[in-house]
Amino acid sequence: LSSVPLQFLFYVNGIYYIFYFVATLAMIIYKSQVFSYPDDFLAPDLALLFIMAILEVLRLYLGSMGNLTEEEAPLGLSLVITVGSVILSVYFLVWQTYILKADVIINAVLLFTYGLESVLKVIAIAAFV
Amino acid sequence: PPETRGAARARTRSGPAPVTDVAKLCVCDLLVAQCDVNCCCDPDCSAADFSLFTTCSVPIVTGDSHLCSQKAAIYSLDVEANPPERIFKLIDQVNPSVFCIHATNYKQALSFNSPEMPTPENFDQLLKQFGSASFSAEPDSWRMNTDAQSPSDANETYRYEYGVPIQTADAFLRLPSPVVSSWCSDANPAGFLVNQATKCTRSVSVEKCGNIQAASMLFYINSSILAVPKSSQMVNITVQSIVVQSLNGMRTLLNGSDLLRLPMILDELCINIVLGVSYHITYTDAGEIIEAAASFVLGAINKEALSIQQSFEISFTQVNTKPVPLSGNPGYVVGLPLRAGFRPPGYPFPVEILFAALVLNTNKYSQLTILQSTSNQDCLAAQGARTPVLFGYNMISGCKLRITAAMKCHPLTQTLLDLLKGQSFPEYVASFGNSQAQDVLDWVPITHLHTSEQRIYNTFQSSCQIPVSLEIEVKWTKYGSLVNPQARIVNVTATITTTTAKQLPSGRERTIPITSSVVFTDISSPAEPGYKAWPTINAKLPFDFFFPFV
Repeated sequence: LSSVPLQFLFYVNGIYYIFYFVATLAMIIYKSQVFSYPDDFLAPDLALLFIMAILEVLRLYLGSMGNLTEEEAPLGLSLVITVGSVILSVYFLVWQTYILKADVIINAVLLFTYGLESVLKVIAIAAFV
Repeated sequence: PPETRGAARARTRSGPAPVTDVAKLCVCDLLVAQCDVNCCCDPDCSAADFSLFTTCSVPIVTGDSHLCSQKAAIYSLDVEANPPERIFKLIDQVNPSVFCIHATNYKQALSFNSPEMPTPENFDQLLKQFGSASFSAEPDSWRMNTDAQSPSDANETYRYEYGVPIQTADAFLRLPSPVVSSWCSDANPAGFLVNQATKCTRSVSVEKCGNIQAASMLFYINSSILAVPKSSQMVNITVQSIVVQSLNGMRTLLNGSDLLRLPMILDELCINIVLGVSYHITYTDAGEIIEAAASFVLGAINKEALSIQQSFEISFTQVNTKPVPLSGNPGYVVGLPLRAGFRPPGYPFPVEILFAALVLNTNKYSQLTILQSTSNQDCLAAQGARTPVLFGYNMISGCKLRITAAMKCHPLTQTLLDLLKGQSFPEYVASFGNSQAQDVLDWVPITHLHTSEQRIYNTFQSSCQIPVSLEIEVKWTKYGSLVNPQARIVNVTATITTTTAKQLPSGRERTIPITSSVVFTDISSPAEPGYKAWPTINAKLPFDFFFPFV
């Protein structure tokens, strides 16, 4: 049977990620105007944000599909992509050019969500196998 | 050894290390090894000095306030204690905003760049970057861009614009003018479309008659003007007219003015000296000069003369137009002559058909003019001397007329009318300073009135009525906006006053004064400022609100 908490978490994650993406983009624009943000530092930050968005869409789609069709392969792939998302989130938490307090808060929430999701995915894979 | 020397040189080349500890930063510590007044962070001050302070000029020294938490050094004076003492506190200041910088991975973010120290290796590059009036981040690419632009400019067509000096084959068209003192300077270029008139003094003498370049006609016409800037098309300066002025000031116009007259000595006088040049340049509306003409006034100097006054003038006319000087744009300007004209004969007066152009008198003395008083006040001897009516200037002039018994009435009346009104008294006066001849409605007809001097009207009109005064009353009003009112002529009335001339017994003569005057009257109504209407609330019910009852 599909895991209802996992599906719920995917749904919440999707909405939260939209907010996270818009907030991070807005804050990068704010930082580039207020602080000295040279182009060699701005380009990697923006690129990684867009890559993270693409990975997130892929991850949520695969995970949701895997959960609903009770297949373990898409769920496993989603788990692997989650690792990448976690690394990117840690980048935005620790290795970004300017880390504002708001950045710390939203990235911490995102990491917490990822952690919870990973646990539920492992349980779901174990149930489907 | 060269390595240590190089290392030592590199060490001495770097600037001083930036101070970032807030406890050690003190902006008001200006005097070295001395206590600065009211500077609580000065390490040179002792407790005794602190007790004499009144306030702390620098109360707080903080790091970057964008950081979430930064160290701050707070200095304050405790005035309650006796003696007053300074309090120094080192605290952590917290920025409550959620957008404070928690951390940064970009080392230069929080402090200013230390400038690069010049070394023999990077000196040229630093000079190129910072050596000019503005710093260039990419000096090489900028220079390449300007080089790329100039060959393409060569294909563009140039043209003269307002104020651009008129170029000649070697330099610029010169209009000598006084600089600082009244002596002529030949370095003043004539600007395109800039009408100028200058007067200056030049030192001449009969000995140097042929050698003074600036006193000979050749100096002013030998250079040819370029039709457009930077082109090879030349326009020669032609001689339009030559006026010769004699030593006593009388001027005569020469016929056949094609010859070049150079200064030469004749009877101990140096003749053909240029006293005035007037350039007339014809241009097209594309900014091209197509014709240039110069009119000269040549004079003579004698042995005693040490300097002459030269006057220069330049005026521009557009091709295929007849220049009409405006007396204001649009309202009349005080001091400029009234513009007047006639309706040419042969044009009917119906209202619908477009009026033909009024014949405009560009000659100054055919405009609205009044009699000009001369030094000998004899009316009949001063025929022809008239002065134009200038807007805003009330004028009165007159002369004395001697009537003898032999004078007949009618010719006398006619002579006096001619004297008062002039040869061509106009019929219309322009209401605005820039009225065009085509707009007949912009022109005000002159009203003529006749009054008689005597109150009691003689039933016998056999005696002669001769005009003795002409009074022109110009009524004008202020027109247009409150802040920039324009003068507009509304009405022009010419009143001729006549008096009876009794037949004189033979041999007797009488002198009567003849006057003519111009009066300008301001009939403007007081200005009313216009305000916008108050906005109204447009609350109306829809048309079919009470359907189906209505």
